[in-house]
Amino acid sequence: MPIKFKALSYIYNKDMPYAHKALDHIDLDIREGAITAVIGETGSGKSTLVEHLNALLLPSEGSLEVLDYEIKAGEKQKFLKPLRKDVGLVFQFSEYQLFEETVIKDVAFGPLNFGYAPQEALQRAADALKMVGIKEDHFEVSPLELSGGQKRRVAIAGIIACDPKIIVLDEPTAGLDPKGSKEIIDLFISLNKTQGKTLIIVSHDNEMVYNYCDDTVVLSKGKLVYHGPTDELFADKEKLKEFNMLEPQIVSFRNELIERGFTLSRQARTLEQIAQEIAKQVKR
Amino acid sequence: MNNLVFGKYIPIDSLMHKLDPRAKLIGLFLMIAAVFVPKSWWVFLVIALVLTVALLFAKIGIKMIVQSFKPMIMMMIFLLVINSLTVKTGDVMFMIGGFAVYKDAVFNTLFVVVRLLLMISITTLLTATTNPLDLTLGIEWLLKPLEAVHFPAHEVAMMVSIALRFIPTIIEETMRIMNAQKSRGVDFENGRLSEKISAILSLIVPLFSVAFERAYELADAMEARGYVPGVKRTRYHVLKFSFRDFLFIFICVLILAFSIASRFYL
Repeated sequence: MPIKFKALSYIYNKDMPYAHKALDHIDLDIREGAITAVIGETGSGKSTLVEHLNALLLPSEGSLEVLDYEIKAGEKQKFLKPLRKDVGLVFQFSEYQLFEETVIKDVAFGPLNFGYAPQEALQRAADALKMVGIKEDHFEVSPLELSGGQKRRVAIAGIIACDPKIIVLDEPTAGLDPKGSKEIIDLFISLNKTQGKTLIIVSHDNEMVYNYCDDTVVLSKGKLVYHGPTDELFADKEKLKEFNMLEPQIVSFRNELIERGFTLSRQARTLEQIAQEIAKQVKR
Repeated sequence: MNNLVFGKYIPIDSLMHKLDPRAKLIGLFLMIAAVFVPKSWWVFLVIALVLTVALLFAKIGIKMIVQSFKPMIMMMIFLLVINSLTVKTGDVMFMIGGFAVYKDAVFNTLFVVVRLLLMISITTLLTATTNPLDLTLGIEWLLKPLEAVHFPAHEVAMMVSIALRFIPTIIEETMRIMNAQKSRGVDFENGRLSEKISAILSLIVPLFSVAFERAYELADAMEARGYVPGVKRTRYHVLKFSFRDFLFIFICVLILAFSIASRFYL
């Protein structure tokens, strides 16, 4: 079951003099098991789009299918809990959602809400915390005493512990140092590769999008302007210009190599892959 | 949270928005006085007409005013019940299960209700067309004379404007934390009492920590820019009365005069 947006529109402050159409007739299929990036300028509707995925926002018009759930405009939802268990949302600056007395209790909060038995919830919490790199001696500490980066990890563990099938990340690495960012991204990528979780990542970071995401969705002023393979988008200079986006460094590098006489394919997306393709040509 | 209409600023551009906040504040007091003076129905009608014209100038639409009445419905029912129980003059209008409701009771209630509705409309008109920061500037100006008796007009205005400035920010944070907790399976609408308490807790604790963080950041930012309480400051934004502000106050004075006159001569 892919995720299907069907002519979905969302209007903020409907019926008010300052009503604002944040999403305008979005038709979009997101592949299951893939990593999809959602990019676009500030105010293009990225966050609004992903908040539909677990019914935090309900469509003003059109409908949305996620897994086995269907959300239609103007209908009351009956399956909020199972939907929200299956679709985990990690918010921007998620560290602000921590509130329990101890780290482990906070992480177990989600699983408990979704109906896991207390013992199992704690076990899941412990596993998730180890996964995000929080050591056992921090489990009983108050989350408010942790550093910003650690808080973010705890908040992320809080979602992973619920075992969602689809994980939506809204700017997951904003405000983290480069090493911390990479660790967080690597963690989610491995969840995708080993457990087949569908990942949807809202990001401003073109380098990250290019390096990790299979597909890319570009929004502009509430409209869908591109949906397709990431490497195709970033190889298309015209489109990048149209969307006001910068070429990733590695693409610029590849282009310069091509200008200097190497034949390189679009699939060469990392230094290693470029090196391999060059090595093949040199051997011949 | 978004359904709160009363006291909400509508950021559009209109003639009413362009008026000086001090003129609008003075106008508000004059108009509210004008609503409380008259004893005859048709004076209310005239005031309502003037208000409708003002609403048209403000471009905020009747719908919003009507929405701002909603919270008052319970109060009106309460008023009607109390009045029906206490007022026993005039003709009997109708009977409810052997209990007589008198004409004066109904009319008294309607009278109070109309006054309240007009008052709410006037206040909504002010808050919808005046940026909260401008409003505090206006309040500070009105409080200025009290500085003679050592009333800290500027500090009070600064506190009020900071509080107002942070309402949208805190609402935004509240929404974000609520969304985050909903994503973790919290149900803010349904559930048993113990679940509700845990739901509220999951909102309040993060909200407090965010609010404190913001407060420290703001204090640092203000200090870094040399803010010292009580020291005389110049303003970036200087309020200036123009011809239309005087015209506006003049119209309000006329309405008040008319409503006072209606009590004596008609």
